[in-house]
Amino acid sequence: MDAPMKVIPEIDRKAGKLNLSPEELAQMIDHTQLSPYKQQRSLEKLCNEAKAYNFGFVCVHPYWTRFCVEQLKGTDIQVATVVGFPMGQNTPDAKAMETKKAIEDGATEIDMVMNVSAFKDKRYDFVKEDIQAVVEAAQGNVVKVILETGYLTYEEIVTACKLVKEAGAHFVKTSTGYGPMGATIPHVYLMRQTVGSDYGVKAAGGIYNFRDALRMIAAGANRIGTSAGVKIMDSYAWARHTDWHIEEIPCRLCPSRKANFDKMPKAVFAYYKSKCVDCPYREFNRFYE
Amino acid sequence: MEGKLLRINLTTNKISEEEIKPEILEMFVGGRGLGVKILSDEVDPTIDPLSEKNKLIFAVGPLTGTAAPTSGRYEVIFKSPLTGTICNSNSGGYFAPMIRKLGYLAIVIEGKSKDPVYVWASENGVEIRDASKLWGKDTEETTKALLKETDERARVACIGPAGERLVRMAAIINDEHRAAGRGGGGAVMGSKRLKALVLYGKQKPKVADNQRFMKIVKGCLMTLDKNPVTKDSLRIFGTNVLVDIINEIGAFPTRNFQEGYFEEADGISGPKYLERIFVKAYNCAGCPIGCGRLTKANGEEGGGPEYETVWAFGAACGNSNIEDIAKANYMANRLGLDTISTGVTIACAMEMSERGILKESVRFGDSEQIIELVRKIGYREGIGDDLAEGSKRFAEKHGCPELAMQIKGLEIPAYDPRGVQGHALGYATSNRGGCHLRAYMIAPEVLGIPVMVDRFKPEGKASIVKLLQDVSAAVDTLVLCRFTQFALRIDQYAGLLSAAVGRTYTEDDFKRVGERVWNLERLFNVKAGFSRKDDTLPPRFLQEPLKEGNSRGRVVELDKMLPEYYKIRGWDEEGRPTAEKLKELGLC
Repeated sequence: MDAPMKVIPEIDRKAGKLNLSPEELAQMIDHTQLSPYKQQRSLEKLCNEAKAYNFGFVCVHPYWTRFCVEQLKGTDIQVATVVGFPMGQNTPDAKAMETKKAIEDGATEIDMVMNVSAFKDKRYDFVKEDIQAVVEAAQGNVVKVILETGYLTYEEIVTACKLVKEAGAHFVKTSTGYGPMGATIPHVYLMRQTVGSDYGVKAAGGIYNFRDALRMIAAGANRIGTSAGVKIMDSYAWARHTDWHIEEIPCRLCPSRKANFDKMPKAVFAYYKSKCVDCPYREFNRFYE
Repeated sequence: MEGKLLRINLTTNKISEEEIKPEILEMFVGGRGLGVKILSDEVDPTIDPLSEKNKLIFAVGPLTGTAAPTSGRYEVIFKSPLTGTICNSNSGGYFAPMIRKLGYLAIVIEGKSKDPVYVWASENGVEIRDASKLWGKDTEETTKALLKETDERARVACIGPAGERLVRMAAIINDEHRAAGRGGGGAVMGSKRLKALVLYGKQKPKVADNQRFMKIVKGCLMTLDKNPVTKDSLRIFGTNVLVDIINEIGAFPTRNFQEGYFEEADGISGPKYLERIFVKAYNCAGCPIGCGRLTKANGEEGGGPEYETVWAFGAACGNSNIEDIAKANYMANRLGLDTISTGVTIACAMEMSERGILKESVRFGDSEQIIELVRKIGYREGIGDDLAEGSKRFAEKHGCPELAMQIKGLEIPAYDPRGVQGHALGYATSNRGGCHLRAYMIAPEVLGIPVMVDRFKPEGKASIVKLLQDVSAAVDTLVLCRFTQFALRIDQYAGLLSAAVGRTYTEDDFKRVGERVWNLERLFNVKAGFSRKDDTLPPRFLQEPLKEGNSRGRVVELDKMLPEYYKIRGWDEEGRPTAEKLKELGLC
């Protein structure tokens, strides 16, 4: 496979030229609260922010689905929830049951986590069945499948994207936010290249400001999952006042730099680090860059 | 828009009120803008700053004392005795709302009294009172005595022994430990023999469209409460949260900027501050953030130290004793000294001593000696008399001007410019000299606010510096705390202003206010003799790469940024605003 990190500078430049209105950007954002300890007032705040900034969706734990649906009644803002979250190791039955309950509670989108263990064991039929169970239970509502790209090689990401599409889901999504790595340009780019232009790609994890968001969109994402929606929109308000696009050193945007020995399979860590050796941008890969 | 100013002439003892022309308020709003306009109109830029011809303008803005978050600040504007430039200095606490509650947007102090005096202003009128008994007292004693003499509910801004002795880095201290520190406003006050302003007002500041105003205020509060810097970092750690961050990037100036990494930073870090000296946090008037700190060290209690002070008496002087840093800070507050300039001047002396240029032994890391030098500077005792002139004059006197870490005479604060190129440009072009707050490029270059930009690249920085300089100047016309800029958007500032004054300011209008103020300041400086040659940094930053830390190997690439900056500003090659630019801004 041609190394996807080669596209980083080109996509970074493209992101600097994207002409997206604040309204368009807000509609692409899943305003997310998936912390394990937040209380009702935080979820109330999340919904109020979604109204104030006119985000397309909020994304919350199943426990909060009904509450948020109530809070957002009378608006166009939809509620997405998560299934098999964040590890994806639940059985297909359990995922289907979670999905059914979520739809009953008013969720219109389901972000499920792929079973990475089964995928790594190459039990592709099981992985597909796992996804299909959720798609079926979702009764025509949108299903996004979180690949947790930080556990996968580039080649595995391509395979996973094909499986998701074959299983009838509607989106591939990069990360839970609890995995070893958030969304990166090469991963999102690769996902878009694999699923084609008429499919959903959601970038999530580590998207903190408008430049991060625009980079993901330039790489091919049509949905952004982030708990920093307000910060992104507030920072985007500064975008029109001057040119903030100072070209970034490719390494800072590369999964090989973000690979974490403690958090990911050692073989995957080694895989990403090995990509640096022949990388065309290796001159930038210095200790203080 | 309407507003009054109070004019007090200390030569003639004449006290008068004036309506400020609506067109001036429309163009310059208040605070820094209003003060700069008055000073530019009324003071010859070539005067001696310590002569009676200088003026001292305390100014607030249309949001002061309202529900707008952080609106409890004032600006004081003067020609600086430390730099010779126009200067504005800003302070929080609870003094500012009193100016507004008396019905004023500005108090202009002019002339010079023969004897020490203070001004007492209340609903019953304005008086110039004898301050002979207070002359010589420190700021704490002065504040307590004046509150007893006037009204316990009043607020005091005063000078200490440093201001009385015309120490060029003397601060004006309000509410005992809040300082309008930079540039030597305390010395200007001392030169006028004015010990203090004591204010007590009761009028409730009004806004034009209260319903709209409160809606925008609510939005601003929500934004501040969502931002991790204003919501958590500043609230929990205070400004000292920056020690670890700036040291980690290798831009924490150490031992008079000889290095950018302080190996003992752990001793003065945010967590260590909490463990060793922190007593409680407090908020300035109208502030939801609450970065203020009350502390206790070796039996003494007081306000601060802030990050800049922890650094100035800490890493800059090679000192990691947080208790003694706090004590030096208490001493500086009582004497009425700017802690940044004081610490950096001491650091300069330390390097000169280390190099054998100074015959006195002044050693890096000697925390007791730092406290003693602060005292000597405040009282102009011994070597303190020379140090009281600031690092530039001190180093020049000893034949080593290159060892003074200053720009246009103002000591550089706690960020080594070699590790942050845009910030370096902000320093070099600052209208009041070495200042981090004119364009706080640390926000985008280090903290990623509003977005992270590569801190080592000079390309593209000029336009960002200009934007932040203009917006910061505009925010200073309101007058709101610089920390709100971590979170609030330009449309929120413009909205607050519009609703407060009943005239619509678009985002571009608001930026234009800032640009106007910036250019008027620049014009003042040009007339005072400043030019491109002064828009520079000490040679250390341009020629000596940092040796340690995560900015090692770097120098400032000023030549790549400055011409682009002038061009974007609409200035000529010498850094003078062009006639077209002045016309565009309504300045000629």
